[in-house]
Amino acid sequence: MSMVYVNMFLAFIMSLMGLLMYRSHLMSSLLCLEGMMLSLFIMMTVTILNNHFTLASMTPIILLVFAACEAALGLSLLVMVSNTYGTDYVQNLNLLQC
Amino acid sequence: MNLFASFMLTSMLMLLLPIIMSNTQLYKNNLYPHYVKTTISYAFAISMIPAMMFVSSGQETIVSNWHWLSIQTLKLSLSFKLDYFSIIFIPVALFVTWSIMEFSMWYMHTDPYINRFFKYLLMFLITMMILVTANNLFQLFIGWEGVGIMSFLLIGWWYGRADANTAALQAILYNRIGDVGFITAMAWFLANMNAWDFQQIFITQHKNLNIPLLGLLLAATGKSAQFGLHPWLPSAMEGPTPVSALLHSSTMVVAGVFLLIRFHPLMEQNKTMQTLTLCLGAITTLFTAICALTQNDIKKIVAFSTSSQLGLMIVTIGINQPYLAFLHICTHAFFKAMLFMCSGSIIHSLNDEQDIRKMGGLYKPMPFTTSSLIIGSLALTGMPFLTGFYSKDLIIETANTSYTNAWALSVTLIATSLTAAYSTRIMFFALLGQPRFNSLSPINENNPHLINSIKRLLVGSIFAGYLISHNIPPTTIPQMTMPHYLKLTALAMTITGFILALELNLAAKNLKFKYPSNLFKFSNLLGYFPTVMHRLPSTMSLTMSQKSASMLLDMIWLESVLPKSISHFQMKMSTIVSNQKGLVKLYFLSFMITLTLSLLLLSFHE
Repeated sequence: MSMVYVNMFLAFIMSLMGLLMYRSHLMSSLLCLEGMMLSLFIMMTVTILNNHFTLASMTPIILLVFAACEAALGLSLLVMVSNTYGTDYVQNLNLLQC
Repeated sequence: MNLFASFMLTSMLMLLLPIIMSNTQLYKNNLYPHYVKTTISYAFAISMIPAMMFVSSGQETIVSNWHWLSIQTLKLSLSFKLDYFSIIFIPVALFVTWSIMEFSMWYMHTDPYINRFFKYLLMFLITMMILVTANNLFQLFIGWEGVGIMSFLLIGWWYGRADANTAALQAILYNRIGDVGFITAMAWFLANMNAWDFQQIFITQHKNLNIPLLGLLLAATGKSAQFGLHPWLPSAMEGPTPVSALLHSSTMVVAGVFLLIRFHPLMEQNKTMQTLTLCLGAITTLFTAICALTQNDIKKIVAFSTSSQLGLMIVTIGINQPYLAFLHICTHAFFKAMLFMCSGSIIHSLNDEQDIRKMGGLYKPMPFTTSSLIIGSLALTGMPFLTGFYSKDLIIETANTSYTNAWALSVTLIATSLTAAYSTRIMFFALLGQPRFNSLSPINENNPHLINSIKRLLVGSIFAGYLISHNIPPTTIPQMTMPHYLKLTALAMTITGFILALELNLAAKNLKFKYPSNLFKFSNLLGYFPTVMHRLPSTMSLTMSQKSASMLLDMIWLESVLPKSISHFQMKMSTIVSNQKGLVKLYFLSFMITLTLSLLLLSFHE
């Protein structure tokens, strides 16, 4: 496997670690989600361009669209939490009430 | 003969002079009212010359001065129609206005804006002259709207009073509804006859004239306070008494009747319109006479009396007698203005007391006002050979002997007796008996302005009927022969009304007033018409629009159906279904440990 792919795969793993291990802010896991999305996008684009897989050229764009939707959802959840508690600390989410 | 049009136009141009002078020093000193009054008296004198020329020769004139514009095939010009109706109405109106101006020099003496008051009265008179001498519908509409606006400004003269502002707005709104009819008629005439000139309208043959005549009837209903658009006239008594005397008894409210009289060549062929007019006038005259019976404000009783007489004029048009209606307009102006001026004299003398239950015993302290009030009331009820007799008695006789609607006829006769009844009520409560007013009232009628003005109208109330009806050219021939019981009907009804009212008033004078009966409440609250019609339609339309636009569309379809229902449903479901504890970091951590462990195990597998 060439260095480019290893590099991007490593970036993906880093972001995944960041998503799963965070201290207090919910915002940091959302940022890591974006990082995952970014590395996936670049990997996909480079693979398609290197293999001249023209028919799949629209896949990165579709990935972008879905990533945008998920980011919006994540942000709205963040806003709901922030509206209720004033901050986005994860230790606030212990009440199980909307 | 040659100076006919010149004299008439001179007399009308003189009325403009005080308005033009209002930018100069003349307007600022306190001789301006006297100047205005003198101008009107000179204008009256000059307008008598064409009137006498017309009486002796029957000459009518149409003066077309200035071609204003032509819109494709419609030619609009400034033209004055000086025919039978205008030439006789203008001297009468100027005479009555002269007396009212002199009266308001006494009545409004302490008002700081008396110059503006006189200017407004003069502007009203000018617009009324424009209305009366108009030869095309456009000029008539200018005068029509002008009298409406001056009425608004004058009713709301004491604008600090909320009731006065409401009454002025009410007058404008009701007149506006009538204006819709006027504009309908104008549009129809423009579309179908291509003219707004009376001559062309009367010559052009047309089969079905119902639409424009209905529009003109609606306009007359609005301006002349017929049933359905009548509440503005009693409310208009919020204005000063000279305003009530000029506008709402002699001049403005007859504009609607005048319009119908102008269109009599069209109305005399249309039986449907005549029946409608007859029934409308009959119901107006009866309804307002019933309402006048239990009112306690002296100006409101006279206002309802005006409304009842206007209904009588409309009835006369309905039996196809426009010339008799016009004669009634001219004679009615004299005694109605005088009745208002006498009430003004009483009101001022009793320190602005308008309730007849707090007057009484004015027979000795105010002899001149008493006698003119009694003569005015007698003229109003049609006492033989006073002014009202020459028009009112002729109307009742013609109605009795014509082939007409029996209900309208009987209702008109009942209203005639009610006229006598409420006139007796005014005289009984205001003049006779023991005084019921405060002891230290400044009762004084010794002012020459007051006495001269009422004296002039008094002489007019007694003699004007005779003078006018013996000097006008012959028009429709009144019915000469009829059975004696028909001839005496009007007199009998009037005497019945007088005797009944006097007996009831004397009998109930010292009785205690317990609870009002239903009939009394109906009459006192004006037939519940303002109470219902001012509240119900507006509440209903506002509630309906609020319910449909705001509740239905906005709040239900745009808010509740999809967005709010989805969120509500989801929240409910999630709280019911989920049984988790929310330890997010632990869950993520366990996920990561699983991943790492599986990666390590699987990679170091064989």
